[in-house]
Amino acid sequence: MPFINFATKEINCKIVYYGPGLSGKTTNIKWIYDHIKPENKGEMITLATETERTLFFDFVPIEVSNVKGFKVRFHLYTTPGQIIYQASRKLILKGVDGVVFVADSQEERHDANLDTLDDMLDNLKEYDIDINELPLVFQYNKRDLPNILPVEVLRRDLNRWNRPDFEAVATKGIGVLETFKEITRQVLKKLKK
Amino acid sequence: MLTLRPEEDEKLRKLLTELNRESKSKIVLLIDKSGQLISRSESPAFSSDDITFASLTAGNVAASEALSKLLGDKNLNHMFTETEEEGIYMILIDGKYILVSIFNKSVSNLGIVRVKIKKYYKKLVDLLRQIESRIEEESSIAEQLNVEDIDLDTLFE
Repeated sequence: MPFINFATKEINCKIVYYGPGLSGKTTNIKWIYDHIKPENKGEMITLATETERTLFFDFVPIEVSNVKGFKVRFHLYTTPGQIIYQASRKLILKGVDGVVFVADSQEERHDANLDTLDDMLDNLKEYDIDINELPLVFQYNKRDLPNILPVEVLRRDLNRWNRPDFEAVATKGIGVLETFKEITRQVLKKLKK
Repeated sequence: MLTLRPEEDEKLRKLLTELNRESKSKIVLLIDKSGQLISRSESPAFSSDDITFASLTAGNVAASEALSKLLGDKNLNHMFTETEEEGIYMILIDGKYILVSIFNKSVSNLGIVRVKIKKYYKKLVDLLRQIESRIEEESSIAEQLNVEDIDLDTLFE
């Protein structure tokens, strides 16, 4: 749910990076965080285990000042991808304004992609969020690895709503910015409606 | 969508600032359950990142709420976290918002904070409900927004 303050001229939106464990959600927002100008970002919070697996969520606030009008603040969250954290994932989706689904392109992880997508659909349903109305972008990550599925297969199985999708190698920043720009564009467009 | 008009923003800020002063807190924050900071008291001495604080508080409350549901309790009402020097008291408002008081334990204490929150609770709920009903009556805010000129390229180094 976006929050607009007409006194301070601020718009706040929540974007969640969703996907199976180790698909690169944290890598995506870490890359954004590392490459954004210091004046446009707040503190990055990572609630992770000792082995750097996300335990609850990562959080990055990003501010965009618009000379003519409002300051827009995007709150980027990631979910913990591992199956056991189902309850935590649901909590993070509360009040979401846009979702980036980060899929792992590797063949052996495709079942995990499908399971996580089902899990996301269940959680959205519980919050009464209609996926057809929700800003949504798909990212097929790890395109540099050898055992990957063709994009057509990933698109057919995951992107059932024909939303914008991108190939990515998040560790090198490839496709990260494109994905981020697309989701913010959709979120702002929905705000205008 | 939650929106705040300038006069509402001022009322909220004033109320939270009064509560902050009376409860001798360092700061009082009003957060929504999805983690957005709605308003805060005028507390220039508070130097931590309030945006990040709001996000973590909402996560903390959401996790505790889920825990209490697991235990069979329907609702979580309030929680208290203590550090060596500070107390952080969080109370749910109308099931949708979280009011947080951060206080220095050598200056105030949980009892004072709770009594003062009790005093302001109804005023705050009334104000939030007024805002909600104003939002419901409004048809569209689209024409008041000017977000088309945003250039994300300028964000990156």
